Parts: sequence; C-alpha cells; structure tokens
Amino acid sequence: MKNNDLTSKTFRFVIAIVFLVAILVVIQINYFHSDKDKKQASKRTTFTVGFDAAFPPYGYKDESGEYVGFDLDLAQEVADRNGWKLVKQPIDWDSKDMELKTGSIDCIWNGFTINGRENNYTWSKAYVDNSQVIVVKSDSGIEKKADLKGKNVMVQTDSSALEAFTGEDADEENKALCKTFAELQQVSDYNNAFLNLESGSADALCMDIGVASYEVEHRGDDYKILDERISSELYGIGFKLGNTGLRDEVQETLDKMKNDGTFEKIAEKWELSDFVCLGKPGTDEAYKKDKDEKKTSESGMFDTVKELAKGMLSSLLIFVFTLIFSMPLGLLVMAARRSKFIILSTIAKVYISILRGTPLMLQLLVVFFGPYYIFGMSVSSSYRFYAVIIGFSLNYAAYFAEIFRAGFDSIPAGQTEAAFILGYTKTQTFWKILFPQMVKRVIPPVTNEIITLVKDTSLAFALAYTEMFTLAKQIAAAQASILPLFAAGLFYYIFNFIVAFVMSRVEKSIKYNIM
Amino acid sequence: MPLLELLNIKKSFGDNEVLKDISLKVESGEVVSILGPSGSGKTTFLRCATMLESIDSGIISYDGTCAYEITEEKRYKADAENMKKARETYGLVFQNFNLFPHFDALKNVAHAPEHVKNVSKEEAKKEALSLLEKVGLKGKENLYPYQLSGGQQQRVAIARALAMHPKILFFDEPTSALDPEITAGILSILKELASEHMTMVIVTHEIDFARKVSDRVVFMDEGLIVEEGAPEDVIDNPSNERTRSFLNKLK
Repeated sequence: MKNNDLTSKTFRFVIAIVFLVAILVVIQINYFHSDKDKKQASKRTTFTVGFDAAFPPYGYKDESGEYVGFDLDLAQEVADRNGWKLVKQPIDWDSKDMELKTGSIDCIWNGFTINGRENNYTWSKAYVDNSQVIVVKSDSGIEKKADLKGKNVMVQTDSSALEAFTGEDADEENKALCKTFAELQQVSDYNNAFLNLESGSADALCMDIGVASYEVEHRGDDYKILDERISSELYGIGFKLGNTGLRDEVQETLDKMKNDGTFEKIAEKWELSDFVCLGKPGTDEAYKKDKDEKKTSESGMFDTVKELAKGMLSSLLIFVFTLIFSMPLGLLVMAARRSKFIILSTIAKVYISILRGTPLMLQLLVVFFGPYYIFGMSVSSSYRFYAVIIGFSLNYAAYFAEIFRAGFDSIPAGQTEAAFILGYTKTQTFWKILFPQMVKRVIPPVTNEIITLVKDTSLAFALAYTEMFTLAKQIAAAQASILPLFAAGLFYYIFNFIVAFVMSRVEKSIKYNIM
Repeated sequence: MPLLELLNIKKSFGDNEVLKDISLKVESGEVVSILGPSGSGKTTFLRCATMLESIDSGIISYDGTCAYEITEEKRYKADAENMKKARETYGLVFQNFNLFPHFDALKNVAHAPEHVKNVSKEEAKKEALSLLEKVGLKGKENLYPYQLSGGQQQRVAIARALAMHPKILFFDEPTSALDPEITAGILSILKELASEHMTMVIVTHEIDFARKVSDRVVFMDEGLIVEEGAPEDVIDNPSNERTRSFLNKLK
C-alpha cells in the first residue's frame, strides 16, 4: 500500500506540473502576437465572419435553419464582389476576442457597437446608428426610466447596454439610473432575455433599438419600447487590431455598394433604412483612428483570482446543496426502481431514462421557466438559485440512483438470506447489513460523479446564475485575455484534487474488504 | 412432540419438480444427516425447511408451532407472532458462511442478539466472546472475515448461529469448502454440540462424515426420501437399489 501511495503522489505531482507548464505556454502565445495576418488579404480565398447567431435582424438562424440577417447579407455581397468564399461562423459572444485573436474569424460583423471599443479593434466606418432602448411588457406600467426604480433589469453579457450602465465611459445619468435598479442581470442571449421578461423574472430589458424593434414586432403587442433612450451608438465591423489590410478591402467594397445603391437595398430588405448611416458625417471617427497601440486593460493575475474566488463561492454552493439533496433522492429513486410495485418501478425507470437522456442544461431551463409556461406562475429572480439546485439535484439523483442500484445488486443474495435467518427485519437488513456494503462498493463511481459535478456547476450559466466559469468568461471578455479561463481551470482542478483526496481517505477509512 | 415436523413437502421450479413428497420428523436432541447425490433436492429441502424458499404444498411446524399448512383444502400461514416464534426455533450455517464482511468476528456474533433479541450490548458482547472461545477463535475477535481462513470463517458462522440460542441447527454442506484436516475440527465441534443435546440437521454428501456425526441418516434421490435409518443400516447395509449405487460410486 505504501508503495502505491507514493506512485499516486508522484503521479499527481507530475500532472500538476504539466498543467502549470500548459498555462505558461498559453500565456506566452497570448503575448507574442504574430503579425502574419496583417497583409495577407490579397491572397485571401475565404472570408470568415463571426456573429452571435441569436441577434436578429443582424445575424440569426431563421425557421429553415439558415443563418441570415442584414449583416450577413452585406458580408455575402462583399465576399462575392471580392471573389471570396463567405464562412458564416456563429460564435459565443463572450469568446469573440479570443476568436479574433487566434484568427479563427476574420472580423466581427454583428451589430457590433463601436462606442467604448474604439481602441480595441480596427474599425470599418460606422454603418448603423443604433440606440440603447428599454423593452418592457405592455401591461407592466413602466412608462419612463424613473419607473425602473426597484425593478430587475436584464442586459446581454458584454453588450452595449451593459457598457452604458457600468462601463468606464458610462455617463453619470445612466450610472445613477442603474443604482435605482433592484438588480442588473446579465444573460447570454436575447431569446433567454425575453424568456425572463415573459416569465416575470425580469421587468425590463435594455438592448439595441434595431434588435428591440425587430423582437417587439415579431413577438406581438405584449411588449413595447419606451420613448426615453439610454444612449445612442454606432455599429461597425470590428477587425483584429492592426489588420488594416483586410479592413481597407472590405471598406472599399462597402463604399462601392453604397454608391451603386446595393447597400440601401439590403437595408430596406431588413427594414433598417431608418438606422443606416454609412458615409454620414461624423460617424467615421473610429475608422480614421487606425491606432496600432493597444490600450491595455489587463489587470494582474491576483485581481483575477480575487474576482474568481467570489464566483467560486457560488460554484461551491451549487456543489454542496446538490450533494446534500441528490444523494438521498437518489436512494429514494433507487428504492422505487427496485420496488416490486410495477407502477413505482416504472415511474422510477422513466425518471432515470429522461433525466439521463436529456442535457442537464435543458433540464435547468425547464425547471426555471417551466412554472411559468406550464402553470402560468410568474417566477421571481430569487427562484434562479433554487432552480439551479433543483435542476442539478434531480439530474444527479438519477445518476446516483443507478450507481446505488448497481451497488446493491452486486451484494450477494446470501447476505440478505443470512440476515433473514438471524431474524433481522427488512428495515434492519437494509440499513445495517446491505447499506454499509453498498457504500463501500460505490465509492469509486460516486467519486467520478462528484468530480463531474464540480465541473458541471458551470452549466448554471444557462439560468444566468453567475458561478465561477461564467465570471471567468466575463472577465476574459472584459480583459480580452484567455488567462482568467485558465485561472478558472486551475480552481476547478484544485477543487477536484481535494475531492479526490477526501474520497480516497473515506475509502481507506472503511477497513474491511469485500469478499 | 417432534421439534421439527415436515409433512408432504412439494416444491417445483417451473416444470421441474424438485421435491415430490417429502416428510421428515426430527426429535429433540437428534442429529440427522441428509445424504444424496447432487440434484437429489437436498439443498432445496433445506431451503424450504428454513423458509428461504416458499413451498408449493405441505406442512412445516417447529416445536409445536405451525408455520405453514398448505393443502388442497386450505392455505394457512402463521401470523407474524407465531411465525416469529417458529423462526426463532432454528438457525442455519450456510455452505459459504455468508458472514457480514463489514463486521469483525465479534460483531458478526454479537450484532443479531443485540438488535434482534434486544440483549444489552455488554451482555451480547460477553456471550459472543465466550462462543468464539468455544469454537476455538479466542484472540481473533477483532479480525474481519476477509482476514480469516475458510475454517475460521465457518467457526464464526457457527458461533453466530448459536448466539441466537436456536433449538435446532441446520448445516448446509459443512465440509464442502474445507480441506480434510479442517473437516476433522468441524466434526469435533459438531460432536461437542451433540453431546450438549443440540438438535442438528446436516445436509452433506460425505458419507464418512455423516456416519461419524449422526444418529439417523436420510437418503434422498430425485426429490424423494428413498431410505432412512441408523447410519450403520443405511450406509453399511443399504436395502434400496439407488442408495447402493450412490454409495458404490463413492467407494
């Protein structure tokens, strides 16, 4: 045994070293920006546009499953005119800077707000003038900004609306307005935001006017846009900082499209004629800048870790509560599954089948939004945390139930028979004879499951519950750096290291061997 | 009044009629061996007698308390209280012992008296220690089953059964898992128990063992008792053809 301990310790040490080296390598790659993509536009054969696939009418998936939208039509025309093949690459909005930096996309073309990001990208001329507006339910009684006092307001992660309230350049009026909100929540996409608004867990959404008018028009009279606006802003195409070669080619083509009327025609098709502003005076300041130096907003590793530690607490809460509830629930489901009553065992079978057969993320959404869509109950924002715990517990109970069942089934029938002959009651047989033996048998698979749970806590983002990984993504987006994600990885690893250590201690503390 | 009375026991598994019509009475203090080739139904008979297996028909009664009476006219099963009384009458030492692996030797013996018979913890422990000493395991009280040899495990299993103070003790193939040397040790324990007037029913296919330990031998084949009597009569001078052929094969 001693020898075994030693190897496992050495093994863990090696793993930890490999992990650290990997982080260092990534940091290095992160800092050595390669310049090779600066002047390669002439040899270009494809043109990859990154966009958020849930951002109509600029770029989204239509009923037939095609990616369509105003921006994508423009991009298509630009690509066609240059003889490039257009690649429409839907991206996770939080990862847009990473995508651009690594060259997996050539530009972000997606109702991309210039204001506040002037120095972070190489910009095209602004082509849409957009404003941030407030969307509420028609019958909500909210008529002006002042009515938002004490309400839950929701914005998209790293969106212009969020920037308008909390960014460095936010004006004082908006900052003061934001302080009157009960909560300013972040959500990863607009569909989710409207689900929250409809179900009552958010009272108002702030978003771009183009998106807002499109959504409100398509979702009927239930919603309205307030007359008072939060800010006005410009949309441009964002290229990697310094990639002026490609930017110039695209801009030149756009200008031509503007001159021959194609641009206006496409704008009309998407009912955006009122918003387009390509070539209007005073809208191309960012384009003229052409700055090569990067405004560094990367804070130290220490600050990042401090930020993440806050998210760690949220992840830890999910972890602990899920374990507390899912294990006993799993035992109950297992008991039902092994029951002689066919109805009971069938219910348990179906339960396990569904909970194991569908994505946890979907189950979380159902638990959170289900009460509204099924029973018409409006859900409060504080339900968010409970929904996360309920969703996780229900899901993990299904897995634990099957692990426990396998554990019980592997105990020889002779144990039950011996207990019967000695006169133990069924309850005594279960708790005093079978249960301790089951525990011993299931420790390895349960350890696996617990480690998976640690990592699965990151799925809570689906309900806009800010746990560690969501926070890491937000920090990564704000800093345009991949470091926070690696710091988060390190957190998870340490967490799981402790879990594995504790479980191996538990296993050793059970002194007997199974025969 | 016999301590154990089994009348017209029948048991089938599907189409396979394992026990055709078996009756057996065991008087207090008797040691009875049940012999027979494998497949003769002796293990099923033992499992039915100890109620690990339900019977299709027949009567089972222990020490005057009827547990089952299933005939064409009626289906009687004792109520909880009488069933408990009947079941407290007997103990069983399993072929592979079925010790509880998560208890040490002492707890294997002391646990059931404490939790089933509500004997006090100290009392249960005291008796368990003396029983373990009786079966020759003094000093091994705190070893877990996986730390004990097969023979030692069997002794713990015997002590565990005795701790419940049964009036009749069943043994399922007590020698099958052991080598000949240890068999001798088990034989002496059984002899000692017999000298204390413990009633025992032993299922075995070892003729020598049966001859040495029992007052009466029952020979089973194809779900029926074909011959029974004193060991010197049945084993050394069998009258039945099937008994003879079985014994010849073993000689």
